[in-house]
Amino acid sequence: MVSLPRAGGTNGIHDEPRHRQPVRIDVEELGKSFGSFTALNDVSLTVRPGELLALLGPSGSGKTTLLRAIAGLTATEEGTIRFDGEDATALGLRERRVGFVFQQYALFRHMTVFDNVAFGLRVRPREERPRAGEIARRVRRLLQLVQLEGLEHRFPSQISGGQRQRVALARALAIEPRVLLLDEPFGALDAKVRKELRRWLRELHTETGLTTIFVTHDQEEALELADRVVVMRAGKIEQIGTPAEIYEEPATPFVCEFLGGAARFEVEAREGETDVLGGTFPIESDAGYSGPAIAYVRAHEIEIVSREMAEGVPAVIRTVRPFGPTITVELSIEGRAERIEADVPRELYDGGEIKEGQGIFIRATSARIFPAG
Amino acid sequence: MTVPPSSAWTPRFGFRRSPSVLPGFGLTMGLTLTWLSLIILIPLAGVSIRSAGLGWEEFAMLAWDPRTVAALKLSFGAALAAAAINTVFGLLVAWVLVRYDFPGRKLVDAAIDLPFALPTAVAGLALTALCAPNGWIGSLLDPLGIKVAYTPAGVVIALVFIGLPFVVRTVQPVLADFDQDLEEAAATLGATRLQTIARVIMPALLPPLLTGFALAFARGVGEYGSIIFIAGNIPYRSEIAPLLIVIRLEEYNYAGATAIAAVMLVISFFLLLVINLLQGWNRRRSGLAV
Repeated sequence: MVSLPRAGGTNGIHDEPRHRQPVRIDVEELGKSFGSFTALNDVSLTVRPGELLALLGPSGSGKTTLLRAIAGLTATEEGTIRFDGEDATALGLRERRVGFVFQQYALFRHMTVFDNVAFGLRVRPREERPRAGEIARRVRRLLQLVQLEGLEHRFPSQISGGQRQRVALARALAIEPRVLLLDEPFGALDAKVRKELRRWLRELHTETGLTTIFVTHDQEEALELADRVVVMRAGKIEQIGTPAEIYEEPATPFVCEFLGGAARFEVEAREGETDVLGGTFPIESDAGYSGPAIAYVRAHEIEIVSREMAEGVPAVIRTVRPFGPTITVELSIEGRAERIEADVPRELYDGGEIKEGQGIFIRATSARIFPAG
Repeated sequence: MTVPPSSAWTPRFGFRRSPSVLPGFGLTMGLTLTWLSLIILIPLAGVSIRSAGLGWEEFAMLAWDPRTVAALKLSFGAALAAAAINTVFGLLVAWVLVRYDFPGRKLVDAAIDLPFALPTAVAGLALTALCAPNGWIGSLLDPLGIKVAYTPAGVVIALVFIGLPFVVRTVQPVLADFDQDLEEAAATLGATRLQTIARVIMPALLPPLLTGFALAFARGVGEYGSIIFIAGNIPYRSEIAPLLIVIRLEEYNYAGATAIAAVMLVISFFLLLVINLLQGWNRRRSGLAV
């Protein structure tokens, strides 16, 4: 059992009045390639002051390159990055003052937790460097914030993964960064610690008020944690929106597929409408479209109908996963090789109607249709 | 008779109280000790026994002979100096080989091992030819009044040549594996390049540097072939201890030879032990100990 730190209370890093407002980041027409591989292709993006933004995408989508470019760790060939209007690409790493948390934490193994957190303060030029007592005071306050008091004399090898993650965070916050950037912050942790740290990071963000960007390939993490989500693919931005917008109104087939849990159907559209699984749905992006189209139906958008209703599509239950508030079943329908997942209410399962091999009728209650090609 | 349940029954062989999850301790430890005995301990015991047969006074007289002391001083002094020089320049070479890609890098990398393979006598002859007053390098230094060949400086140069690969080859893999993230982390935290090297990279390189230093030093103490050509072997001045041992043997003075050998053995063992302890202390201090 991991006891989890609570951000908040009186021990915030800014218990003095905040001298800085959160920073707005403007990314303008950013381009970067590694040899023949285009990592970023004309990426433009505005991160609002104080926002918690997720960069979501599969590996190779350019999300980490974008984060590293904002940090100044990767030089870009085209475009500019502005912090509050000031061209950050002209600044060195030191002047950029970016708090960066690495995926594998990148803690200094030969330094204690205390020394790791103090590093950013100790390497300052003599005239800007706080005195030793002041450094100690600040480090302790940060360790309190990330709930690692009492561990300051341990080495990174002597603490758990979740604790290392928090040391990395405290170390990044020690330099009083203008923005906080996290690369796959929970990638190396197990499921339980991940979930708890996720909630804690959300609270920490509220506490620090910093403009924060994190990279993830986990859609659940992005949707749960972020104020807005940027979905990336092959060096381009597919969609920017709130988690609700991304989930309810995916802009492209890619976003729809990447969020997962949706069955894909290749269908024919006529005059902006198409039939999928016994239902008729409009094409929202192109009202008058006729021709081949792709439809996505999520598991919870499939309902089981009784035989008498004519519009149902016959299906056979193949597997049943009987746990949780809804029961997930895998169905096979005629003329389709892949199975379809559907969520059915618990009552139906308890009523004995849901069992493997059972023939039923299903219908889609809603669907997202995109013109093909 | 009842058989105890296997899980409750543990063999009690001497100090091996808790059964390890890794099997084969007995076998591997036995083989290790046998091998060590055959290769190292028995020959060394021979030296000790031979010199122990001398009697303390005779041993002290042989060991404290001024010529012997001068030879020992030169051997250990030159080996330490050469190992120190190699630590600095070996680190530099390893750094360049790992960090930069340049045409001919593979060739340079391969050339590093040549001192391992080259017969040491050849190395000694080549260095002597270069450093002698009429050689390429010696002729440049001679007008400045610097003499290398046939002086203790020549001994150090020969040992620098012999010892270089030890430092390069121990530092190189550690540097190659060094996590780039750490340097980037230091940079985002505001460290300058120099601060990053001093505070982040060097601490990681200290263990291999110490190991490389120890290996180069140990090799230097025992080196014979290359030195005897360049040193000139002037008694009390540029005569190394291993050569003095050979000289005593040629005089059929076996007691004298073993006495020098025993002193070398003790000093070498002591110095290597100190380096190992230093290594252990560094690991503990930096939390790297398992």
